Amino acid sequence: MSDLEVRDLTRVFVSGGTPRRAVDGAGFTASSGLLTGFVGSNGAGKTTTMRMIMGVLAITSGEVLFDGAPVTRQDRREFGYMPEERGLYPKQPVLDQLVYLARLRGIAASAARREVLEHLDRLGLADRAKEHVEKLSLGNQQRVQIVAAVMGQPKALVLDEPFSGLDPAAVDAMVDLLREHTRRGVPVLFSSHQLDLVERLCERLVILGGGRVLANGSPDELRAQGVTRHRLILSGDAGFVRGVPGVLAVDVDGPSALVEVRDDGAATRLLSAALERGAVHEFSPVRPTLAQIYREMTAQAGAEPQAHADEETV
Amino acid sequence: MRNAWMVVATREIVVRALNKGFLIGLAVTIAMIGGLIGFTSYMESRTQSFDVAVVAGDESAATALESAADGRGAASASDDRVELTVVRVDDAAAAEAALEDETADAWLSSGAGVTGTDGWTLSGWRDPDSDLAQLIETTVRDQVLAGHASDAGTTMSALTAGSEVETERLDGNPVDPQIVFMAGFVLAFLFFIGAVGSGAMIAGSVIEEKQSRLVEIIATAVPLRQLLAGKIIGSSAIALGQNLLLAGVGLVGVSFTDLSAILPAMTATMVWFVVFFTVGFVAVAALYAVAGSLASRTEDLQYTTSPLMMLLMGVYIVTFSADGVLERVLSYIPPASIVSMPVRVLNGDALWWEPLVSLLVLVAATVGAVLLSERAYRGALMQTGGRVTWRTAMAGERGTTLGA
Repeated sequence: MSDLEVRDLTRVFVSGGTPRRAVDGAGFTASSGLLTGFVGSNGAGKTTTMRMIMGVLAITSGEVLFDGAPVTRQDRREFGYMPEERGLYPKQPVLDQLVYLARLRGIAASAARREVLEHLDRLGLADRAKEHVEKLSLGNQQRVQIVAAVMGQPKALVLDEPFSGLDPAAVDAMVDLLREHTRRGVPVLFSSHQLDLVERLCERLVILGGGRVLANGSPDELRAQGVTRHRLILSGDAGFVRGVPGVLAVDVDGPSALVEVRDDGAATRLLSAALERGAVHEFSPVRPTLAQIYREMTAQAGAEPQAHADEETV
Repeated sequence: MRNAWMVVATREIVVRALNKGFLIGLAVTIAMIGGLIGFTSYMESRTQSFDVAVVAGDESAATALESAADGRGAASASDDRVELTVVRVDDAAAAEAALEDETADAWLSSGAGVTGTDGWTLSGWRDPDSDLAQLIETTVRDQVLAGHASDAGTTMSALTAGSEVETERLDGNPVDPQIVFMAGFVLAFLFFIGAVGSGAMIAGSVIEEKQSRLVEIIATAVPLRQLLAGKIIGSSAIALGQNLLLAGVGLVGVSFTDLSAILPAMTATMVWFVVFFTVGFVAVAALYAVAGSLASRTEDLQYTTSPLMMLLMGVYIVTFSADGVLERVLSYIPPASIVSMPVRVLNGDALWWEPLVSLLVLVAATVGAVLLSERAYRGALMQTGGRVTWRTAMAGERGTTLGA
């Protein structure tokens, strides 16, 4: 078990004399062997949190733990990191700069070369190894960047928006690559705006809003926190559901109704009333999507006044 | 990782050595040095030749010209390498015609009988060349004086005996002040292009990493101090190599010219210059690295590097024209001492210990600049969103828990 844990992490930026909490007591765990998705609106503090985890930004208070102990410089050297803004040396060949970055992480030149070529081959970039990075498409630059992060069997992966700008096939290839690392027992934390993707991929999910962790758990757990609605389809008109006590009609459209059942007895009352009027074709729970839960949570958090615009102004 | 700086330095050197702009700049500089040496050597060995007309029967003039042509009567003018050809014409009209059709550059006549004036005349279609005029003036004066001397029953040598003034430099330095000035100019130029060129490269390489956030990846792998050290060492090695190459080309070139007599003095000067430059460039490179880290985009570089540019430009202008007390003072003040001290070594003005003391001052200044720069670099590198000032860089939280 080598979990990556963030405990009560806070970062205060002072701009124009007024302190602002970009990250405010955030706490969560990216567990060993799991993909943990990190979602939140722009300025929620995802990038700031990741930069603190990697140590490129000083922590105001709180701590980052790896394998139960405060993270060390040596630990971080062995983490794979993909920063928010993509960048490599534009005028250096792909292979040369990946080997350079690997060597900085202490991998011997020949081993670095072998591993880089292997990764480029997997991501379909083997024939571009000698090309300058600036000649590659953005999607291919992104692949080169991910290779830079996963070289040398990292002990943890911290990836800021690794899937942005990738086509579905590239996303799948990258997910396969990340799965390989989770199978080794490595915790993978990645941020994303693409909720459907996160929902599909992640074992764990952390929702950040206004610098705080709004929710944290598996997608099922998060969905269970939301209000479950039911879809009722009858042979006749469903308008009567509005009068059933303990039932909130969210939407009624002819024989179909979407309802929220507010107490235990209400479902029984609703079904009895429905059967008195004719056949019931369907009565099924409608589970909220993560996107719905996310919207509800961030809407609540958004009610608090937050100045995000200058998050990057340190 | 202890040797990370070596990996960084190697990359800096390889990337630079393959950079087309750098190679072209180097080639242009070498061509300029070659051209300068070629021009100097041409000016040194140039011989001017003149055709001077003399009218038949004007024997005094003919004699004077012949002795001038032989170089006998004109010891003082022999440096100028003026070659004379005597053109004999029949009369004054023919002489004027020769001047007009340019078969003669000038016409020398010895007196009233020919031109109507009392005395010697050197006529030309335009003003006669000054080197020629000087040569003929000297020759004629010697000849006339010799005539008067013999009339007075004595000789020229008796008259001028004991009147020679010889010059002697007590420091025994044989180097011509003009050469010293030229050398000062060349060293100031080498300093300027070396420092600004390599400085701009290091600033560019820093902002490239900062702007792309590549530095965040690097910073998690190696301490920023090592990154900076690698960059400084890498670009200093390049700058050193470049200056050794240029100095070598210059010295080899000089050995083919008349200046080869002062080659030992010049070599000593170049060695001092290369030593001073190498030490001083470390500071320049460190400061340029800070200038790079203060920018937030490549476009900001011209603002963040301009104070350094001013400093180096100032050193360039002041050092190549300085002499006397000013030069003596400058030879102890870094970075001006990088140019001024080697120049003083060349003109023989510096005592043996002076370069050593000046070098110590330079080393101390460099250490100071590097320590200051290291702090500012780490303070500025992780700050994004706009240009950073020296003040905030120094006050900055040194970025990170990665710190050193």
